[in-house]
Amino acid sequence: MSTTTLEKPAVSAPKKQKVMLCEGNEAAALAVALARPDMVAVYPITPQSSLVEHVAKLIADGKMDADIVDAEGEHSVLSVLQGGALAGARTYTATCGPGLAFMFEPYFRTSGMRLPIVMSIVTRDGITPQCVWGGHQDAMTVREVGWVQIYCETVQEVLDTTVMAFRIAEDHDVMLPVNICLDGNYLSYGTARVELPDQSDVDAFMGAKDVNWHVALDPLKPMAVDPLTGGAGGKGPATFVRYRKSQCRGMQNALSVIEAVHAEWAERFGRSYAPLVEEYRLDDAEFAIMTLGSMTGAAKDAVDEAREAGKKVGLIKIKTFSPFPVEALMRALSKVRALGVVDRSVGFRWNCGPMYQEVLGVLYRLAGQSGTVLPAMSFIGGLAGADITIGHFHRVIDATAALLDGPAPTEPVWLNEND
Amino acid sequence: MGRAYSTIAFDPAKCDGCGDCMTACAQAKTGTDDWARSRIQIVGRGNAATDAMANAIEDATEKAFELALCRQCADPKCVTVCPAGALAKDGASGVIGWDASKCVDCLLCTVGCAYGGIALEEATGHVSKCDTCDGRPACVPVCSKGALTYVTTANIYNEVGDWEDLFAPGLAGCQGCNTELLMRHTLRRVGPDTVLATPPGCVPGMGSVGFNGTTGTKVPVFHPLLTNTAAMLAGVKRQFKRMGRDVTALAIAGDGGASDVGFQSLSGAAERGEQMLFMVVDNEGYMNTGMQRSSCTPYGAWTSTTPIGAGCAAGQPAQGKTQDAKNLPLLMVNHRCAYVATASTAYMEDLYAKLDRAIEASKTGFAYVHVYSPCTTGWRFPSDQNMEVARKAVETNFVMLWEFTPDEGLNFTRPVDDPLPVTDYLKAMGRFRHLSPDQIEHIQGKVMENAKFVQRFSEQAHGG
Repeated sequence: MSTTTLEKPAVSAPKKQKVMLCEGNEAAALAVALARPDMVAVYPITPQSSLVEHVAKLIADGKMDADIVDAEGEHSVLSVLQGGALAGARTYTATCGPGLAFMFEPYFRTSGMRLPIVMSIVTRDGITPQCVWGGHQDAMTVREVGWVQIYCETVQEVLDTTVMAFRIAEDHDVMLPVNICLDGNYLSYGTARVELPDQSDVDAFMGAKDVNWHVALDPLKPMAVDPLTGGAGGKGPATFVRYRKSQCRGMQNALSVIEAVHAEWAERFGRSYAPLVEEYRLDDAEFAIMTLGSMTGAAKDAVDEAREAGKKVGLIKIKTFSPFPVEALMRALSKVRALGVVDRSVGFRWNCGPMYQEVLGVLYRLAGQSGTVLPAMSFIGGLAGADITIGHFHRVIDATAALLDGPAPTEPVWLNEND
Repeated sequence: MGRAYSTIAFDPAKCDGCGDCMTACAQAKTGTDDWARSRIQIVGRGNAATDAMANAIEDATEKAFELALCRQCADPKCVTVCPAGALAKDGASGVIGWDASKCVDCLLCTVGCAYGGIALEEATGHVSKCDTCDGRPACVPVCSKGALTYVTTANIYNEVGDWEDLFAPGLAGCQGCNTELLMRHTLRRVGPDTVLATPPGCVPGMGSVGFNGTTGTKVPVFHPLLTNTAAMLAGVKRQFKRMGRDVTALAIAGDGGASDVGFQSLSGAAERGEQMLFMVVDNEGYMNTGMQRSSCTPYGAWTSTTPIGAGCAAGQPAQGKTQDAKNLPLLMVNHRCAYVATASTAYMEDLYAKLDRAIEASKTGFAYVHVYSPCTTGWRFPSDQNMEVARKAVETNFVMLWEFTPDEGLNFTRPVDDPLPVTDYLKAMGRFRHLSPDQIEHIQGKVMENAKFVQRFSEQAHGG
């Protein structure tokens, strides 16, 4: 499968990268500027407000040449970008929590029209009860809407992945909108040292822009965009099915495209990330814990400490959550005998974390190959902006280790419940 | 293609048989006051014209006059039957001329005419007929009742009829639908360098966006959500502007989406001055989905969600919509749009003039045109009555035609100083059939209140 159809210049040594200190929201804004979008639409909402403020300032200072639309709400934010993309614009926005909920109607439609819009979700827990703090509930709630969703662990990863997101979205084999998920509060306001790539190097990486070759609103090539499909009788539903299958195919194609783009990024800029699933100290592990997003740093520290204490634990970090990296996960999970999954959101239907539910499906496939079912349990922590500390991860590690000798509990373990 | 011609139109309901038109014609053509020599003849219900008229004037219920006048027929029988070549239709003006030097006074032409429009003038022994006084007919301006009008809308046909119709033939509108007329004329005027947004409603339902791979439109067209038309179109327009290309962003939207669930994006786009032409086709409800009420549905109207019933839990009989309509065009005025206008397809010249100004305004800001669009199906009237209902709405001040710009304020383009009673409008359709006298009184009161309000607004805008 081809990973990209655009010709790109040969890789040359990257120019010196500027070292700076910035928060995650600013890192995302700087990354967006490097990607040279034509149009940015914004509506401020916590905890992504400072992201759009940074974008607005970059444009006001002439450091980003984009048309900025201060729309009256997230519903229009995404709608403006859909119109822009249909006319050929590279587009970007950010949102979180209630803003994402309000955006849902056009959000669903973006993937159906195959518009390569890039949007940061500065993740936030759901309301109600009222809560303006971090958590993954917003992004998890829309996981079945056809957007690529990639979670970041560090501020540097936010910057790098945000640039890569445009390449992934616009790849002709993908043509799907992409969410870069950065943990509200932890990454959005967390300040860290980052290296900023040189613009000319990013230009070479990005290549030519071609966002509406497949669907356009242009008097020079008139077409009806998104005609009515479906209904009783053969032709309509068959058309609809073809659209849907094509979306699913684009989503599956994204797996290899994400890998290829990450590989190229590492080659050009010298920073590499596991594109789908990161395996940390897994090769000789007996059991593993699984993490998503910024919690991973504390989890890795806990794993290191547990290793020193003789516990044979490893860590699996999911970076790409949609499409769900089933094959990569099967390879990782085949190395261990028990698993603890830590979610930063809840799955109301199953009484467990949503990522845990997804993993159960992978375990079923794995069992089909190996004949044994891996015991796994669900942990839910970090809701409403709570810390998941190294201490919490020791609890996770010990409870998961217990699965090697005993039955898995059917109830999730709720971290932060009494602290 | 063929040509259309201007013509003298006659409204029998407004004629009281005063005969001023005949006097004016006789004066213009013969220098006398002899009605017998007038080329326009008003004929009462009785035989002898003048006697019958006198009687009829006495009895208002007998106001039943007819017009005998040359209709300048497209395929004139008088010309066909003339054995001398004395009658001929002028291809440019459409007027059928009479050449005395060729006429042999055989009077065959008077037999050929079905309208009594050509007759023997006994004083001269020749036939006489209307020649519309070179486009300035003497009879029309003297008619103080408004029964005679010189209709020049044929100019629209002649001027724009050759422009490409940008919709496919055979759009799936209801019989007598006003919206198809509106769509074809609007897009023809706006032209092919257009991106068209048609949110869910009658317009895409008729096939503009199309079904399963078909489309009814020759310009790029899309189906925004009911909620986001103005926002999506803004994105399209901004990108073309960024690319330096001159493309008109046009929305043809229903009243429901625009005034209810889509109002936020409409308001936001107007506030930001997005450069587009947003047209609302106001058929006063969600007609495409089964005739449900919208916030533009008028008080008292039956809709499928404001039904007529025997009673409800509160003990009140259900009598149609219980609230007045939202005045969307006035709300848009208060957004200080570059241009706001109300229009009606019963007044096409007015509509075309407004389209011209709206297109121009959309090059610098937000242009909004609100077109009242009677719905034969949802309003319950015969399909051949659409223009009549649209006209009655204006003649009763139920709908007022005006335009607004920040510089020029609000100006009436077709003021109605002496409006007909609103019942003339209400009785033209079935959706108001159930109205009680109290409800009619409420509607009449609101029409007058609204007329005063807009009038005051107009005067204030002009420092009055």
